[in-house]
Amino acid sequence: MEMKVLGCALLFPFQIVFSILKATVRFFTRQKRRDLGTDVVLITGGGRGIGRHLAKEFAKQGARKVILWGRTEKCLKETCEEISMTGTECHYFVCDVGNREEVYQQAKVLREKVGDVTILVNNAAVVHGKSLMESDDDALLKTQHINTLGQFWTTKAFLPRMLELCNGHVVCINSILSLSSIPGAIDYCTSKASSYAFMESLTLGLLDCPGVGCTTVLPFHTDTEMFQGMRVRFPKLFPPLNPEMVAERTVDAVRTNTAFVVLPWTMHFLVILKSLLPQSALEEIHKFSGSYTCMNTFKGRT
Amino acid sequence: MNIFVEFFLVMLKVCWAIVMAGFKWLIRPKEKSVAGQVCVITGAGGGLGRLFAKEFARRRATLVLWDINSHSNEETAEMVRQIYREQDNPMSKEGAVGGVEEVPPFQPQVYTYVLDVGKRESVYSTAEKVRREVGEVDLLINNAGVVSGHHLLECPDELIERTMVVNCHAHFWTTKAFLPKMLEMNHGHIVTVASSLGLFSTAGVEDYCASKFGAIGFHESLSHEIQASEKDGIKMTLVCPYLVDTGMFRGCRIRKEIEPFLPPLRPEFCVKQAMRAILTDQPMICTPRIVYMVNFMKSILPFEAIVCMYRFLGADKCMYPFLAQRKEAMNNNEAKNGI
Repeated sequence: MEMKVLGCALLFPFQIVFSILKATVRFFTRQKRRDLGTDVVLITGGGRGIGRHLAKEFAKQGARKVILWGRTEKCLKETCEEISMTGTECHYFVCDVGNREEVYQQAKVLREKVGDVTILVNNAAVVHGKSLMESDDDALLKTQHINTLGQFWTTKAFLPRMLELCNGHVVCINSILSLSSIPGAIDYCTSKASSYAFMESLTLGLLDCPGVGCTTVLPFHTDTEMFQGMRVRFPKLFPPLNPEMVAERTVDAVRTNTAFVVLPWTMHFLVILKSLLPQSALEEIHKFSGSYTCMNTFKGRT
Repeated sequence: MNIFVEFFLVMLKVCWAIVMAGFKWLIRPKEKSVAGQVCVITGAGGGLGRLFAKEFARRRATLVLWDINSHSNEETAEMVRQIYREQDNPMSKEGAVGGVEEVPPFQPQVYTYVLDVGKRESVYSTAEKVRREVGEVDLLINNAGVVSGHHLLECPDELIERTMVVNCHAHFWTTKAFLPKMLEMNHGHIVTVASSLGLFSTAGVEDYCASKFGAIGFHESLSHEIQASEKDGIKMTLVCPYLVDTGMFRGCRIRKEIEPFLPPLRPEFCVKQAMRAILTDQPMICTPRIVYMVNFMKSILPFEAIVCMYRFLGADKCMYPFLAQRKEAMNNNEAKNGI
């Protein structure tokens, strides 16, 4: 017994080093990728923004079927038609993921009409872009329900079947703001932090489940309607991300079963700094980088 | 060109901040007085909330106790009154011995309110009542917390929602209720009692981890908002204790061999450390200190290495015994009810 513990203790640093080397090698080399030919992909918030590009990318990479959920039928219809023209079977359903009953009902309809979902992409998100004191209570709750609880309901609806079949993937389009908050988006930061924890906990829980994986993508500010008007102080140093690139990297991560993806890679330093520096130092850095004022010009979607 | 000057200045400020932080760590700053100040504690009926109430009572703060359970809330209030009386007796003696009539010292009081902090209307109406009956609030301790104790796929949806509402959304309402006046007066302190599970997750308690991460995300975002509005009189403190031995997570355990090095915290120790942080306006406190180290390791290591670390510590599945025990307890209850 003592020898076993001692063995584990001695092996531990080597495991750490090996994992680091493995991650480094993976970063630089091309890996074996999962074939999407048998996969049915469900994308929440699939009508526009990153969701739309994700749908196109999954279709391009050979997914068998793509299903779009969203709250605006017009956008869903447009995206659906566009994808159908490329030859991939595509369906859409109007569904507000913040509404639990609606999620479960639509999930049942989906199973009957289309079949089992094997890749679930939780992309639906809203942001109101106001400070706490200016925020309306119902708006705060709506953000929590769509961005966080919606993810609970969709996962509860589809994960059991994935586990039964030993085949599935849960994807979450999160944000770097879940790890590094900013003023002016307190509802969004709170909900994305919750969402991140959910995915981390789920990822740890599913490590022992064969065939089922998780991917969490944490992009920096992306050039979409959702954060329209948000202004970064050094746009050349930290340019807004291209939604096509985000979608591409997301699908790549799904196919290589990568657990966490931070975009761009340099955002890792932000996270490291946050856990290293005292609070007052971080505040100075935030001020300099313009984090305190970037939401002042926010317009978003109306 | 002025950009580089500004960058240089920021670097200087950052270095100075690091030096000051080291200095504060070496030389403990003087603790501020909270005597006579109004302190609201949510979840005051038990666990850490009760201990916070007692500590603030020892420092002669006026206490406003919020809890959903009126009986345990009154119990806490009685303990607080006992502490007030104990502190009054020596002064009375001195007065008597001295033979000189003294001005009666300020008499702190304790008030109790029964409400569900998860219900927005309750929070707002009770806050209004507090303002009328007690006065303006100086300290807000967001401590209320619940845990569902179920695996995600087995957990009733209502319990998931309740965990999010009590542990995270309630902070919106309490803060919205009391912060405007604090901002107006440029004086106040908001404390968020979270958990180390708000810094790194573990399997099996997805809803609890999500709610605590959310509470921390809220706290940090609010910190930045207050900083951006340049109200330096309002302080914020985040308390992230490792597992506390309050019975909330009974049965939870990490690896057997590691447990002697990382035992569950004694609640009294945890609250003592937190009180020191609050009274010295420290932005964040993790108890024990190794939590800082784990947090840092987590930020620099790739995910596979983090998994190795978790597995070595037994932290990735540490909640499974807790969940199993909870399920067993529920089955026993069902059996009793069946009989």
